[in-house]
Amino acid sequence: MAEQRSHTRQMIGSLLVALLIVVAAVAVVTAKFGPTSAAEQEAVEERLRLREERLEERQERREERLDQREEER
Amino acid sequence: MEELIDTLTRGNPTEVKVVLASVALALAVYQLVLISVGYGKWRPPFLAARPAFQAHRAVGDTIAVVLIVVAVMCVSYFGLEDDAALHAVAATALLAVLALKILVLRRWHAMGRFLPALGISVWILLALTWFTSAGDFLAGS
Repeated sequence: MAEQRSHTRQMIGSLLVALLIVVAAVAVVTAKFGPTSAAEQEAVEERLRLREERLEERQERREERLDQREEER
Repeated sequence: MEELIDTLTRGNPTEVKVVLASVALALAVYQLVLISVGYGKWRPPFLAARPAFQAHRAVGDTIAVVLIVVAVMCVSYFGLEDDAALHAVAATALLAVLALKILVLRRWHAMGRFLPALGISVWILLALTWFTSAGDFLAGS
């Protein structure tokens, strides 16, 4: 009975070690990918697109203001 | 099928495949430790042969499921590419030897003496399959 209980505990311990190995493997491989994953790249591209849009809007507003000033003169 | 894989992996099928294959390889290394305890080649005081065998069986079943998922992803999404012939051959042999090993374990007990050889073959083929795809990908990333 005691031996059976000890074996069950050893079996659970072995499976927990396997779980830890899975977590470690996922962490190491995911860290190796870094920002090259498609989701991450899409996020970077989206940020760049928004920045360009904001720059264009600012440029347009500046040009409009310059046009207005010239008209006022 | 391609669309389903794309949705499930959120557009990262290669990365997910590499992670799954790497998990399978890492667990396969652990399997060697468990089976060496099971066969009494190594006798640590904290693990007896029987629970080591049981854990080996449970982890082996998990690896088999992971490998089938990776194989389905590979064939249905990436298909067979000319420059990945070694990978395709190793993966096909891996699945065949794995299927034979499961058959011997569950039904064909008379062939039980070949289990160590089959296990080592599965391990070598898994390592080769990983190196010719995931290993290449990780080396390049």
